[in-house]
Amino acid sequence: MNAKAAKSLLGAWILALAFLLPAPLRAQVAGTALTGMVRDASGKAVPHAKISVKNVATEQTVEAQADSAGLYIVPNLMPGDYEVSVAAEGSSANATKVTITAGAKQTMNLVVGVGLSLSDLGFSPGQTQGSAEEQARLDKRSHMLKLHQRFGLIAAVPLIATVVASFGAGGKSTSSANRDLHVALGSVAGDLYGISAYYAIRAPKIQGTETRGPIKLHKILAWIHGPGMIMTPILGAMAFNQKSSGEKVHGIASAHGAVGIVTAAAYGLAILSVSVKF
Amino acid sequence: MIQKILIACLLAGAPALAQTDSQWALDQSTLTYHVSHPLHQTEGVSHAARGKGVCHAGQCDFLIAVPVKSFDSGDSNRDLHMLQVTRGAEFPMVTVRTHLPETAGSSATIHADLEVQFAGQTAKYKQVAFEQGTQGGVTRITGTIPATLSDFKIDPPSLLSMPVKNEIPIRVEMTWRKQK
Repeated sequence: MNAKAAKSLLGAWILALAFLLPAPLRAQVAGTALTGMVRDASGKAVPHAKISVKNVATEQTVEAQADSAGLYIVPNLMPGDYEVSVAAEGSSANATKVTITAGAKQTMNLVVGVGLSLSDLGFSPGQTQGSAEEQARLDKRSHMLKLHQRFGLIAAVPLIATVVASFGAGGKSTSSANRDLHVALGSVAGDLYGISAYYAIRAPKIQGTETRGPIKLHKILAWIHGPGMIMTPILGAMAFNQKSSGEKVHGIASAHGAVGIVTAAAYGLAILSVSVKF
Repeated sequence: MIQKILIACLLAGAPALAQTDSQWALDQSTLTYHVSHPLHQTEGVSHAARGKGVCHAGQCDFLIAVPVKSFDSGDSNRDLHMLQVTRGAEFPMVTVRTHLPETAGSSATIHADLEVQFAGQTAKYKQVAFEQGTQGGVTRITGTIPATLSDFKIDPPSLLSMPVKNEIPIRVEMTWRKQK
């Protein structure tokens, strides 16, 4: 074999070997390995910490995990700027920047913020532990108060219409149609009010909560419009009967209009107290 | 002989070269969240935050925590509703963690990466600016965390079927004291 033929054969062998080499083996030699120890603030090795290495330019992230001795290795990093973050259970995640240069290995030790916990701040377990039961109670309360609000707002529409219709139903008016309309609207308003009141009364109470702010006024007003919503239809029924039998409305029934107006006003104010900031 | 003296000097000087650990304690705090609604502008305030910072080798870890139910908006019903929507009974604490170089204490403005745990979710806020000033041994820090409800997967609470805005910026005013 002459020298030229031998050279060609050698070239062919190198080429064949290059193709026969498994791809990962070729990739392994391409980049730099970043390695080091993961420690806490006191210098103690932190096992099994999670390391995340992000290439700043490409935003590609490689993840690795430290071993039981706190040693980590992230292979095959191309030269460039990286953001390295490390996190361990019960610690804050720390991030730091590093520039990888060409070479076989680069060392960088990482520190995790182990040591600070809620107990270090003096919070008792009772303060920091959640309660699914309490959350469920709050959820139920909010749900029922939402329905209270919804029915309360809907009730305001027939209530206003009842007040408007009262001008044609009372006084010197003799029209029974106006009276019937007033009664029908009042009944609808009363029913919706009753549903709304049910959700407010039945909503779970949260222990240890002191009522303060606009909701206090809202609740005080309920002591006016609540009895008013009971009294008004009773007085209204008496006035209706007196008027229907051709009598002039008299006695306690004559207070129907005034009680109704006060009730409607207290109800309107109750809605405004939690809707608009005074 | 000279070599021995040199080694002795190096050994004696080694502890001095190692950086001294220090700690920070939160003295006073006022955290204020701001909620915007078409009919209301509401603020809830808490003074119940506790915090600590631990520094080692020039790096400091800070943890600040505040009970969710300590926020007071001036209306008990609103506070209970906020507690419900933020799942405050299930996750009673808001915690903020940050990691800063010890040298950050010397500049007038700190840019901190914050990790906030709230309502069972973790949100990260990059480079949040805080103004700081030191007087009489205490460091006063003020700034605003640009939090949003969606960061913590909280459905915006609504009043009269109108939801509040997604943004709930949290104003932070803290006084820290360095401890050895």
